[in-house]
Amino acid sequence: MLRKLLVNLRIFWQGTLLSYIGMFHWLRPTTYLASKILMPLAQILFFTFLGMYATGRDNASFYVIGNAVQISAVSGIYGVTMSIGGDRWNGTLPYLFGTPANRFFLFVGRAFMHVIDGMLGVVVGLMWGVLLLNLNLSQTDLPALALTILITTISCSGMGLLMGCIGLITTNVMFVNNSVYFLLLIFSGANIPLDRLPALFRILAQGLPLTRGIASARALIAGSSLESVAPLLLGELAVGLAYGLAGFWLFRWFETKAKQKGSLETV
Amino acid sequence: MMRNLRTYGRAILAVAEMTFRHNVMDLFIIFTVLIQPLLIAIMALWMLGDKGGDIAMFVVVGSGMTGLWSSLLFVSGNSINVERRSGTLETLVGVPTPLEAIVFGKNLADVTQSLVSMMASYLLAGLIFGFSLSIQQPLLFFVSLLFSVVAFISFGLIIAPIFVMNPAVQQFQNAMEFPIYMLSGFLFPIALLPGWTTPLSYLLPPYWAARALHATSTGGGSLPEVLLCWGMMLVFSLIYFFISSRLFKLMLVKARTDATLDME
Repeated sequence: MLRKLLVNLRIFWQGTLLSYIGMFHWLRPTTYLASKILMPLAQILFFTFLGMYATGRDNASFYVIGNAVQISAVSGIYGVTMSIGGDRWNGTLPYLFGTPANRFFLFVGRAFMHVIDGMLGVVVGLMWGVLLLNLNLSQTDLPALALTILITTISCSGMGLLMGCIGLITTNVMFVNNSVYFLLLIFSGANIPLDRLPALFRILAQGLPLTRGIASARALIAGSSLESVAPLLLGELAVGLAYGLAGFWLFRWFETKAKQKGSLETV
Repeated sequence: MMRNLRTYGRAILAVAEMTFRHNVMDLFIIFTVLIQPLLIAIMALWMLGDKGGDIAMFVVVGSGMTGLWSSLLFVSGNSINVERRSGTLETLVGVPTPLEAIVFGKNLADVTQSLVSMMASYLLAGLIFGFSLSIQQPLLFFVSLLFSVVAFISFGLIIAPIFVMNPAVQQFQNAMEFPIYMLSGFLFPIALLPGWTTPLSYLLPPYWAARALHATSTGGGSLPEVLLCWGMMLVFSLIYFFISSRLFKLMLVKARTDATLDME
Protein backbone atom coordinates (compact mmCIF):
# COMPACT_ATOMS: atom_id res chain seq x y z
CA MET A 1 0.00 0.00 0.00
CA LEU A 2 2.68 2.45 1.13
CA ARG A 3 4.97 1.32 -1.67
CA LYS A 4 2.21 1.90 -4.21
CA LEU A 5 1.63 5.37 -2.84
CA LEU A 6 5.35 6.16 -3.07
CA VAL A 7 5.46 4.93 -6.66
CA ASN A 8 2.46 7.08 -7.52
CA LEU A 9 4.00 10.11 -5.85
CA ARG A 10 7.20 9.53 -7.82
CA ILE A 11 5.18 9.28 -11.04
CA PHE A 12 3.35 12.46 -10.09
CA TRP A 13 6.56 14.38 -9.45
CA GLN A 14 8.55 13.03 -12.39
CA GLY A 15 5.57 13.46 -14.71
CA THR A 16 5.18 17.00 -13.46
CA LEU A 17 8.80 17.95 -13.89
CA LEU A 18 9.62 16.11 -17.11
CA SER A 19 6.43 17.09 -18.92
CA TYR A 20 7.03 20.73 -18.02
CA ILE A 21 10.66 20.60 -19.18
CA GLY A 22 9.74 18.66 -22.31
CA MET A 23 6.73 20.67 -23.43
CA PHE A 24 7.81 24.15 -22.45
CA HIS A 25 11.43 24.03 -23.66
CA TRP A 26 10.56 26.95 -25.96
CA LEU A 27 9.73 29.16 -22.96
CA ARG A 28 12.87 31.28 -22.87
CA PRO A 29 13.33 34.13 -20.38
CA THR A 30 12.27 36.78 -22.91
CA THR A 31 9.19 34.77 -23.91
CA TYR A 32 8.33 34.35 -20.24
CA LEU A 33 8.88 38.06 -19.63
CA ALA A 34 6.60 38.96 -22.53
CA SER A 35 3.78 36.51 -21.86
CA LYS A 36 3.80 36.26 -18.08
CA ILE A 37 4.95 39.71 -16.94
CA LEU A 38 4.27 42.30 -19.66
CA MET A 39 1.07 40.90 -21.20
CA PRO A 40 -0.65 40.70 -17.78
CA LEU A 41 0.50 44.24 -17.03
CA ALA A 42 -0.95 45.45 -20.33
CA GLN A 43 -4.23 43.62 -19.67
CA ILE A 44 -4.52 45.01 -16.13
CA LEU A 45 -3.79 48.55 -17.32
CA PHE A 46 -6.23 48.37 -20.23
CA PHE A 47 -9.20 47.10 -18.24
CA THR A 48 -8.42 49.31 -15.24
CA PHE A 49 -8.36 52.44 -17.41
CA LEU A 50 -11.52 51.28 -19.18
CA GLY A 51 -13.12 50.74 -15.77
CA MET A 52 -11.95 54.13 -14.54
CA TYR A 53 -13.47 55.71 -17.66
CA ALA A 54 -16.73 53.92 -16.84
CA THR A 55 -16.98 54.49 -13.10
CA GLY A 56 -14.27 56.92 -12.01
CA ARG A 57 -10.73 56.74 -10.66
CA ASP A 58 -11.91 55.80 -7.14
CA ASN A 59 -12.91 52.35 -8.35
CA ALA A 60 -9.52 51.44 -9.85
CA SER A 61 -8.82 48.76 -7.23
CA PHE A 62 -11.96 46.84 -8.29
CA TYR A 63 -10.50 46.34 -11.76
CA VAL A 64 -6.89 45.87 -10.63
CA ILE A 65 -7.82 43.02 -8.27
CA GLY A 66 -10.26 41.42 -10.73
CA ASN A 67 -7.77 41.37 -13.57
CA ALA A 68 -4.76 40.43 -11.42
CA VAL A 69 -6.60 37.35 -10.12
CA GLN A 70 -7.94 36.60 -13.60
CA ILE A 71 -4.30 36.38 -14.78
CA SER A 72 -4.25 32.93 -13.14
CA ALA A 73 -6.20 31.81 -16.24
CA VAL A 74 -3.10 32.39 -18.40
CA SER A 75 -1.34 29.48 -16.69
CA GLY A 76 -4.50 27.66 -15.62
CA ILE A 77 -6.17 27.57 -19.02
CA TYR A 78 -3.44 28.01 -21.66
CA GLY A 79 -0.58 26.36 -19.74
CA VAL A 80 -2.50 23.32 -18.56
CA THR A 81 -4.18 22.85 -21.94
CA MET A 82 -0.83 22.90 -23.70
CA SER A 83 0.49 20.46 -21.12
CA ILE A 84 -2.29 17.92 -21.77
CA GLY A 85 -2.47 18.50 -25.53
CA GLY A 86 1.32 18.60 -25.84
CA ASP A 87 1.55 14.82 -25.65
CA ARG A 88 -0.66 14.56 -28.69
CA TRP A 89 1.15 17.26 -30.68
CA ASN A 90 4.56 15.76 -29.85
CA GLY A 91 3.48 12.21 -30.64
CA THR A 92 4.11 10.89 -27.12
CA LEU A 93 0.47 10.10 -26.32
CA PRO A 94 0.71 6.43 -27.44
CA TYR A 95 3.64 5.89 -25.05
CA LEU A 96 1.74 7.59 -22.25
CA PHE A 97 -1.29 5.37 -22.80
CA GLY A 98 1.00 2.36 -23.00
CA THR A 99 2.39 2.78 -19.51
CA PRO A 100 0.87 1.08 -16.47
CA ALA A 101 1.23 4.36 -14.51
CA ASN A 102 -1.66 5.61 -12.43
CA ARG A 103 -3.63 7.87 -14.77
CA PHE A 104 -4.91 10.19 -12.07
CA PHE A 105 -1.42 11.07 -10.84
CA LEU A 106 -0.20 11.47 -14.42
CA PHE A 107 -3.15 13.68 -15.26
CA VAL A 108 -3.02 15.94 -12.21
CA GLY A 109 0.76 16.17 -12.47
CA ARG A 110 0.36 18.02 -15.77
CA ALA A 111 -1.28 20.93 -13.92
CA PHE A 112 1.04 21.20 -10.90
CA MET A 113 3.75 23.50 -12.33
CA HIS A 114 1.08 25.73 -13.83
CA VAL A 115 -0.55 26.19 -10.44
CA ILE A 116 2.78 27.45 -9.07
CA ASP A 117 3.32 29.59 -12.17
CA GLY A 118 -0.24 30.90 -12.05
CA MET A 119 0.14 31.93 -8.41
CA LEU A 120 3.31 33.78 -9.29
CA GLY A 121 1.43 35.51 -12.11
CA VAL A 122 -1.30 36.74 -9.75
CA VAL A 123 1.30 38.00 -7.27
CA VAL A 124 3.08 39.88 -10.07
CA GLY A 125 -0.29 41.31 -11.18
CA LEU A 126 -1.07 42.55 -7.68
CA MET A 127 2.44 44.00 -7.39
CA TRP A 128 1.85 45.94 -10.62
CA GLY A 129 -1.35 47.21 -9.01
CA VAL A 130 0.51 48.34 -5.88
CA LEU A 131 3.36 49.95 -7.85
CA LEU A 132 1.41 51.65 -10.64
CA LEU A 133 -2.23 51.93 -9.63
CA ASN A 134 -2.13 52.65 -5.89
CA LEU A 135 -3.57 49.33 -4.82
CA ASN A 136 -3.64 49.37 -1.01
CA LEU A 137 -2.85 46.08 0.73
CA SER A 138 -2.41 47.57 4.22
CA GLN A 139 -5.72 46.10 5.50
CA THR A 140 -5.13 42.72 3.92
CA ASP A 141 -4.72 39.41 5.69
CA LEU A 142 -1.83 38.33 3.44
CA PRO A 143 -1.78 34.59 4.33
CA ALA A 144 -5.52 34.46 3.62
CA LEU A 145 -4.94 36.24 0.31
CA ALA A 146 -2.20 33.70 -0.51
CA LEU A 147 -4.67 30.88 0.21
CA THR A 148 -7.24 32.57 -2.04
CA ILE A 149 -4.69 32.83 -4.84
CA LEU A 150 -3.75 29.16 -4.41
CA ILE A 151 -7.35 27.94 -4.47
CA THR A 152 -8.30 30.17 -7.40
CA THR A 153 -5.33 28.99 -9.42
CA ILE A 154 -6.15 25.35 -8.63
CA SER A 155 -9.74 26.02 -9.67
CA CYS A 156 -8.64 27.61 -12.95
CA SER A 157 -6.29 24.70 -13.59
CA GLY A 158 -9.24 22.34 -13.08
CA MET A 159 -10.94 24.03 -15.98
CA GLY A 160 -7.63 23.90 -17.90
CA LEU A 161 -7.53 20.11 -17.42
CA LEU A 162 -10.98 19.85 -18.98
CA MET A 163 -9.99 22.18 -21.84
CA GLY A 164 -6.83 20.13 -22.37
CA CYS A 165 -8.92 16.99 -22.81
CA ILE A 166 -11.16 18.82 -25.26
CA GLY A 167 -7.87 19.54 -27.05
CA LEU A 168 -7.43 15.80 -27.44
CA ILE A 169 -10.63 15.50 -29.45
CA THR A 170 -10.47 18.70 -31.51
CA THR A 171 -7.89 20.43 -33.67
CA ASN A 172 -9.03 23.90 -32.67
CA VAL A 173 -8.31 23.98 -28.98
CA MET A 174 -6.75 27.48 -29.10
CA PHE A 175 -10.00 28.86 -30.48
CA VAL A 176 -11.83 27.30 -27.52
CA ASN A 177 -9.17 28.52 -25.07
CA ASN A 178 -9.20 32.08 -26.36
CA SER A 179 -12.98 32.19 -26.17
CA VAL A 180 -13.02 30.76 -22.63
CA TYR A 181 -10.34 33.24 -21.51
CA PHE A 182 -12.40 36.21 -22.71
CA LEU A 183 -15.65 34.75 -21.36
CA LEU A 184 -13.97 34.55 -17.96
CA LEU A 185 -12.99 38.21 -18.30
CA ILE A 186 -16.65 39.08 -18.86
CA PHE A 187 -18.58 36.72 -16.60
CA SER A 188 -16.29 36.05 -13.63
CA GLY A 189 -16.85 39.51 -12.18
CA ALA A 190 -13.30 40.58 -13.04
CA ASN A 191 -14.54 43.68 -14.87
CA ILE A 192 -18.31 43.76 -14.57
CA PRO A 193 -20.01 43.54 -11.16
CA LEU A 194 -22.16 40.40 -11.17
CA ASP A 195 -25.29 42.34 -10.22
CA ARG A 196 -25.03 44.21 -13.52
CA LEU A 197 -25.28 41.02 -15.55
CA PRO A 198 -28.63 39.64 -16.74
CA ALA A 199 -30.02 36.90 -14.45
CA LEU A 200 -29.07 34.05 -16.80
CA PHE A 201 -25.43 35.14 -16.90
CA ARG A 202 -25.36 35.59 -13.12
CA ILE A 203 -26.25 31.90 -12.83
CA LEU A 204 -23.61 31.03 -15.43
CA ALA A 205 -21.03 33.02 -13.44
CA GLN A 206 -21.63 30.85 -10.39
CA GLY A 207 -20.52 27.82 -12.37
CA LEU A 208 -17.24 29.36 -13.46
CA PRO A 209 -13.87 29.24 -11.78
CA LEU A 210 -12.54 32.65 -10.64
CA THR A 211 -15.95 34.13 -9.74
CA ARG A 212 -15.71 33.34 -6.02
CA GLY A 213 -11.92 33.68 -5.94
CA ILE A 214 -12.08 37.24 -7.27
CA ALA A 215 -14.87 38.13 -4.82
CA SER A 216 -12.83 36.64 -1.99
CA ALA A 217 -9.66 38.55 -2.98
CA ARG A 218 -11.61 41.81 -3.15
CA ALA A 219 -13.13 41.19 0.29
CA LEU A 220 -9.78 40.29 1.86
CA ILE A 221 -8.03 43.33 0.39
CA ALA A 222 -10.87 45.48 1.75
CA GLY A 223 -10.12 44.10 5.23
CA SER A 224 -12.36 41.05 5.62
CA SER A 225 -11.23 38.02 7.59
CA LEU A 226 -10.51 34.51 6.34
CA GLU A 227 -13.57 33.20 8.20
CA SER A 228 -15.88 35.53 6.30
CA VAL A 229 -14.58 34.44 2.89
CA ALA A 230 -14.27 30.73 3.75
CA PRO A 231 -17.59 29.81 2.05
CA LEU A 232 -16.43 31.55 -1.11
CA LEU A 233 -13.14 29.67 -1.06
CA LEU A 234 -14.82 26.33 -0.49
CA GLY A 235 -17.17 27.06 -3.38
CA GLU A 236 -14.26 28.04 -5.62
CA LEU A 237 -12.43 24.83 -4.76
CA ALA A 238 -15.55 22.75 -5.42
CA VAL A 239 -16.05 24.34 -8.85
CA GLY A 240 -12.40 23.71 -9.78
CA LEU A 241 -12.52 20.09 -8.59
CA ALA A 242 -15.72 19.51 -10.57
CA TYR A 243 -14.03 20.74 -13.77
CA GLY A 244 -10.89 18.72 -13.01
CA LEU A 245 -12.87 15.53 -12.43
CA ALA A 246 -14.88 16.12 -15.60
CA GLY A 247 -11.54 16.50 -17.40
CA PHE A 248 -10.23 13.27 -15.91
CA TRP A 249 -13.37 11.42 -16.93
CA LEU A 250 -12.97 12.76 -20.49
CA PHE A 251 -9.29 11.78 -20.47
CA ARG A 252 -10.16 8.18 -19.53
CA TRP A 253 -12.99 8.08 -22.06
CA PHE A 254 -10.62 9.34 -24.77
CA GLU A 255 -8.05 6.67 -23.85
CA THR A 256 -10.65 3.91 -23.93
CA LYS A 257 -12.12 5.03 -27.26
CA ALA A 258 -8.70 5.59 -28.81
CA LYS A 259 -7.61 2.07 -27.81
CA GLN A 260 -10.86 0.52 -29.04
CA LYS A 261 -10.89 2.27 -32.40
CA GLY A 262 -7.17 2.81 -32.96
CA SER A 263 -7.92 6.50 -33.43
CA LEU A 264 -5.22 7.90 -31.17
CA GLU A 265 -3.59 10.13 -33.78
CA THR A 266 -6.47 10.58 -36.16
CA VAL A 267 -9.02 12.61 -34.18
CA MET B 1 5.90 51.99 -65.67
CA MET B 2 2.10 51.82 -66.16
CA ARG B 3 2.42 48.24 -67.32
CA ASN B 4 4.36 47.35 -64.19
CA LEU B 5 1.77 49.03 -61.98
CA ARG B 6 -1.02 47.12 -63.72
CA THR B 7 0.87 43.85 -63.26
CA TYR B 8 1.56 44.55 -59.61
CA GLY B 9 -2.03 45.67 -59.09
CA ARG B 10 -3.26 42.37 -60.52
CA ALA B 11 -0.84 40.45 -58.29
CA ILE B 12 -1.96 42.42 -55.22
CA LEU B 13 -5.61 41.65 -55.91
CA ALA B 14 -4.87 37.97 -56.59
CA VAL B 15 -2.90 37.67 -53.34
CA ALA B 16 -5.65 39.52 -51.45
CA GLU B 17 -8.27 37.13 -52.81
CA MET B 18 -6.27 34.02 -51.91
CA THR B 19 -5.46 35.40 -48.46
CA PHE B 20 -9.11 36.21 -47.84
CA ARG B 21 -10.19 32.72 -48.89
CA HIS B 22 -7.61 31.20 -46.58
CA ASN B 23 -8.45 33.49 -43.67
CA VAL B 24 -12.17 32.73 -43.63
CA MET B 25 -11.33 29.07 -42.96
CA ASP B 26 -8.87 29.80 -40.13
CA LEU B 27 -10.47 29.74 -36.68
CA PHE B 28 -7.61 31.68 -35.09
CA ILE B 29 -8.19 34.50 -37.55
CA ILE B 30 -11.96 34.30 -37.10
CA PHE B 31 -11.45 34.64 -33.36
CA THR B 32 -9.10 37.60 -33.84
CA VAL B 33 -11.21 39.59 -36.28
CA LEU B 34 -14.70 38.62 -35.19
CA ILE B 35 -15.12 36.87 -31.84
CA GLN B 36 -12.65 38.84 -29.73
CA PRO B 37 -13.87 42.30 -30.88
CA LEU B 38 -17.45 41.15 -30.22
CA LEU B 39 -16.56 39.99 -26.70
CA ILE B 40 -14.74 43.27 -26.08
CA ALA B 41 -17.80 45.14 -27.37
CA ILE B 42 -20.10 43.19 -25.02
CA MET B 43 -17.82 43.95 -22.09
CA ALA B 44 -17.45 47.62 -22.99
CA LEU B 45 -21.20 48.07 -23.54
CA TRP B 46 -21.91 46.62 -20.09
CA MET B 47 -19.16 48.71 -18.51
CA LEU B 48 -19.80 52.00 -20.30
CA GLY B 49 -23.49 51.68 -21.16
CA ASP B 50 -24.60 54.07 -18.42
CA LYS B 51 -22.55 56.94 -19.79
CA GLY B 52 -25.29 57.69 -22.29
CA GLY B 53 -24.90 59.95 -25.32
CA ASP B 54 -22.94 58.45 -28.17
CA ILE B 55 -21.17 55.85 -26.08
CA ALA B 56 -22.65 52.89 -27.97
CA MET B 57 -21.33 54.23 -31.29
CA PHE B 58 -18.00 54.96 -29.59
CA VAL B 59 -17.83 51.31 -28.40
CA VAL B 60 -18.84 49.96 -31.82
CA VAL B 61 -16.04 51.85 -33.55
CA GLY B 62 -13.52 51.25 -30.75
CA SER B 63 -14.12 47.50 -30.46
CA GLY B 64 -14.00 47.21 -34.25
CA MET B 65 -10.62 48.92 -34.19
CA THR B 66 -9.35 46.40 -31.64
CA GLY B 67 -10.10 43.78 -34.30
CA LEU B 68 -8.20 45.81 -36.88
CA TRP B 69 -5.12 46.12 -34.68
CA SER B 70 -5.15 42.51 -33.44
CA SER B 71 -5.51 41.29 -37.00
CA LEU B 72 -2.63 43.51 -38.12
CA LEU B 73 -0.43 42.37 -35.24
CA PHE B 74 -1.09 38.64 -35.30
CA VAL B 75 -2.08 37.97 -38.92
CA SER B 76 -0.33 40.61 -41.04
CA GLY B 77 2.63 40.62 -38.65
CA ASN B 78 3.10 36.93 -39.39
CA SER B 79 2.44 37.23 -43.13
CA ILE B 80 6.09 36.63 -44.05
CA ASN B 81 6.85 34.24 -41.20
CA VAL B 82 3.99 32.00 -42.32
CA GLU B 83 5.71 31.61 -45.70
CA ARG B 84 9.02 30.95 -44.00
CA ARG B 85 7.52 28.22 -41.84
CA SER B 86 5.85 26.55 -44.80
CA GLY B 87 9.04 26.75 -46.88
CA THR B 88 7.60 28.99 -49.60
CA LEU B 89 9.43 32.21 -48.72
CA GLU B 90 12.43 31.53 -50.96
CA THR B 91 10.10 30.90 -53.90
CA LEU B 92 8.20 34.10 -53.24
CA VAL B 93 11.45 36.05 -53.05
CA GLY B 94 12.47 34.51 -56.37
CA VAL B 95 9.37 35.44 -58.39
CA PRO B 96 9.40 38.64 -60.50
CA THR B 97 6.63 40.28 -58.44
CA PRO B 98 8.22 42.28 -55.59
CA LEU B 99 7.74 40.76 -52.15
CA GLU B 100 6.36 44.13 -50.96
CA ALA B 101 3.48 43.80 -53.44
CA ILE B 102 2.70 40.30 -52.21
CA VAL B 103 2.72 41.34 -48.56
CA PHE B 104 0.69 44.44 -49.47
CA GLY B 105 -1.97 42.16 -50.96
CA LYS B 106 -2.00 40.02 -47.83
CA ASN B 107 -2.33 43.07 -45.59
CA LEU B 108 -5.08 44.46 -47.79
CA ALA B 109 -7.12 41.28 -47.26
CA ASP B 110 -6.36 41.19 -43.52
CA VAL B 111 -7.27 44.83 -42.90
CA THR B 112 -10.41 44.96 -45.03
CA GLN B 113 -11.80 41.73 -43.61
CA SER B 114 -11.19 43.12 -40.11
CA LEU B 115 -13.79 45.77 -40.87
CA VAL B 116 -16.27 42.92 -40.41
CA SER B 117 -15.65 43.27 -36.67
CA MET B 118 -17.00 46.82 -36.76
CA MET B 119 -20.12 45.70 -38.61
CA ALA B 120 -20.62 42.80 -36.18
CA SER B 121 -20.28 45.16 -33.19
CA TYR B 122 -22.76 47.53 -34.86
CA LEU B 123 -25.32 44.72 -35.19
CA LEU B 124 -24.64 43.54 -31.64
CA ALA B 125 -25.15 46.98 -30.11
CA GLY B 126 -28.24 47.66 -32.21
CA LEU B 127 -30.02 44.32 -32.21
CA ILE B 128 -28.99 42.68 -28.92
CA PHE B 129 -28.40 45.70 -26.68
CA GLY B 130 -31.10 47.81 -28.30
CA PHE B 131 -29.04 50.97 -28.77
CA SER B 132 -30.16 53.37 -31.44
CA LEU B 133 -27.15 53.87 -33.68
CA SER B 134 -26.45 56.21 -36.53
CA ILE B 135 -23.25 57.46 -38.12
CA GLN B 136 -23.41 61.24 -37.82
CA GLN B 137 -21.16 62.12 -40.75
CA PRO B 138 -21.37 59.13 -43.12
CA LEU B 139 -19.33 60.57 -45.98
CA LEU B 140 -16.50 61.74 -43.73
CA PHE B 141 -16.68 58.43 -41.88
CA PHE B 142 -16.32 56.47 -45.12
CA VAL B 143 -13.34 58.55 -46.26
CA SER B 144 -11.80 58.15 -42.78
CA LEU B 145 -12.23 54.41 -43.15
CA LEU B 146 -10.32 54.47 -46.47
CA PHE B 147 -7.47 56.48 -44.93
CA SER B 148 -7.46 54.07 -41.98
CA VAL B 149 -7.16 51.02 -44.22
CA VAL B 150 -4.15 52.54 -46.02
CA ALA B 151 -2.57 53.63 -42.71
CA PHE B 152 -2.99 50.18 -41.20
CA ILE B 153 -1.56 48.48 -44.31
CA SER B 154 1.51 50.73 -44.19
CA PHE B 155 1.96 49.95 -40.49
CA GLY B 156 1.65 46.22 -41.25
CA LEU B 157 4.33 46.51 -43.95
CA ILE B 158 6.76 47.59 -41.24
CA ILE B 159 5.77 45.03 -38.65
CA ALA B 160 6.10 41.95 -40.88
CA PRO B 161 9.78 42.39 -41.91
CA ILE B 162 10.73 43.46 -38.37
CA PHE B 163 9.24 40.24 -37.01
CA VAL B 164 11.07 38.20 -39.66
CA MET B 165 14.48 39.76 -39.09
CA ASN B 166 14.18 40.08 -35.29
CA PRO B 167 12.59 36.96 -33.77
CA ALA B 168 13.36 38.44 -30.32
CA VAL B 169 10.96 41.31 -31.06
CA GLN B 170 8.25 38.89 -32.12
CA GLN B 171 8.39 37.21 -28.72
CA PHE B 172 6.75 40.38 -27.40
CA GLN B 173 3.89 40.09 -29.91
CA ASN B 174 1.32 39.07 -27.27
CA ALA B 175 2.34 41.97 -25.06
CA MET B 176 1.83 44.51 -27.88
CA GLU B 177 -1.92 44.04 -28.25
CA PHE B 178 -3.39 45.96 -25.30
CA PRO B 179 -0.85 48.84 -25.26
CA ILE B 180 -1.95 49.95 -28.74
CA TYR B 181 -5.61 49.67 -27.68
CA MET B 182 -4.76 52.10 -24.88
CA LEU B 183 -2.37 54.46 -26.67
CA SER B 184 -4.71 54.77 -29.66
CA GLY B 185 -7.74 55.62 -27.56
CA PHE B 186 -9.90 52.88 -29.07
CA LEU B 187 -12.23 52.57 -26.06
CA PHE B 188 -11.32 55.44 -23.74
CA PRO B 189 -9.75 58.87 -24.30
CA ILE B 190 -5.96 59.00 -24.11
CA ALA B 191 -6.38 61.93 -21.69
CA LEU B 192 -6.89 59.29 -18.98
CA LEU B 193 -3.34 58.04 -19.50
CA PRO B 194 -0.27 59.73 -17.97
CA GLY B 195 0.77 62.82 -19.95
CA TRP B 196 4.14 61.37 -21.04
CA THR B 197 2.37 58.76 -23.19
CA THR B 198 0.63 61.35 -25.41
CA PRO B 199 3.58 61.84 -27.83
CA LEU B 200 3.69 58.05 -28.27
CA SER B 201 0.03 58.11 -29.28
CA TYR B 202 0.73 60.83 -31.84
CA LEU B 203 3.28 58.56 -33.55
CA LEU B 204 0.76 55.79 -34.09
CA PRO B 205 -1.42 55.72 -37.24
CA PRO B 206 -4.09 53.73 -35.29
CA TYR B 207 -4.47 56.73 -32.96
CA TRP B 208 -5.25 59.09 -35.87
CA ALA B 209 -7.51 56.48 -37.42
CA ALA B 210 -9.44 56.04 -34.17
CA ARG B 211 -9.68 59.78 -33.66
CA ALA B 212 -11.06 60.34 -37.17
CA LEU B 213 -13.52 57.43 -36.97
CA HIS B 214 -14.75 58.35 -33.48
CA ALA B 215 -15.15 62.01 -34.50
CA THR B 216 -17.08 61.28 -37.68
CA SER B 217 -19.24 58.48 -36.28
CA THR B 218 -20.39 60.40 -33.20
CA GLY B 219 -20.28 63.83 -34.85
CA GLY B 220 -18.09 65.02 -32.00
CA GLY B 221 -15.31 66.44 -34.16
CA SER B 222 -15.01 69.47 -36.39
CA LEU B 223 -14.01 69.29 -40.07
CA PRO B 224 -10.52 70.75 -39.39
CA GLU B 225 -9.93 68.05 -36.77
CA VAL B 226 -10.95 65.33 -39.22
CA LEU B 227 -8.74 66.85 -41.92
CA LEU B 228 -5.85 66.90 -39.47
CA CYS B 229 -6.36 63.19 -38.79
CA TRP B 230 -6.46 62.41 -42.51
CA GLY B 231 -3.31 64.46 -43.04
CA MET B 232 -1.48 62.68 -40.24
CA MET B 233 -2.55 59.27 -41.55
CA LEU B 234 -1.33 60.25 -45.02
CA VAL B 235 2.01 61.50 -43.71
CA PHE B 236 2.57 58.43 -41.54
CA SER B 237 1.53 56.13 -44.38
CA LEU B 238 4.11 57.72 -46.69
CA ILE B 239 6.82 57.54 -44.01
CA TYR B 240 5.98 53.94 -43.19
CA PHE B 241 5.85 52.93 -46.87
CA PHE B 242 9.33 54.45 -47.28
CA ILE B 243 10.71 52.72 -44.17
CA SER B 244 9.12 49.42 -45.16
CA SER B 245 10.73 49.57 -48.63
CA ARG B 246 14.14 49.89 -46.88
CA LEU B 247 13.30 47.02 -44.55
CA PHE B 248 12.24 44.80 -47.44
CA LYS B 249 15.50 45.61 -49.29
CA LEU B 250 17.46 44.64 -46.18
CA MET B 251 15.48 41.44 -45.91
CA LEU B 252 16.13 40.57 -49.55
CA VAL B 253 19.84 41.10 -49.01
CA LYS B 254 19.65 38.53 -46.26
CA ALA B 255 17.80 36.25 -48.64
CA ARG B 256 19.98 36.62 -51.74
CA THR B 257 23.42 37.51 -50.41
CA ASP B 258 23.66 35.96 -46.97
CA ALA B 259 21.20 33.10 -47.70
CA THR B 260 20.03 33.37 -44.10
CA LEU B 261 16.40 34.20 -44.74
CA ASP B 262 14.95 30.94 -43.50
CA MET B 263 16.95 30.97 -40.28
CA GLU B 264 15.43 32.09 -37.00
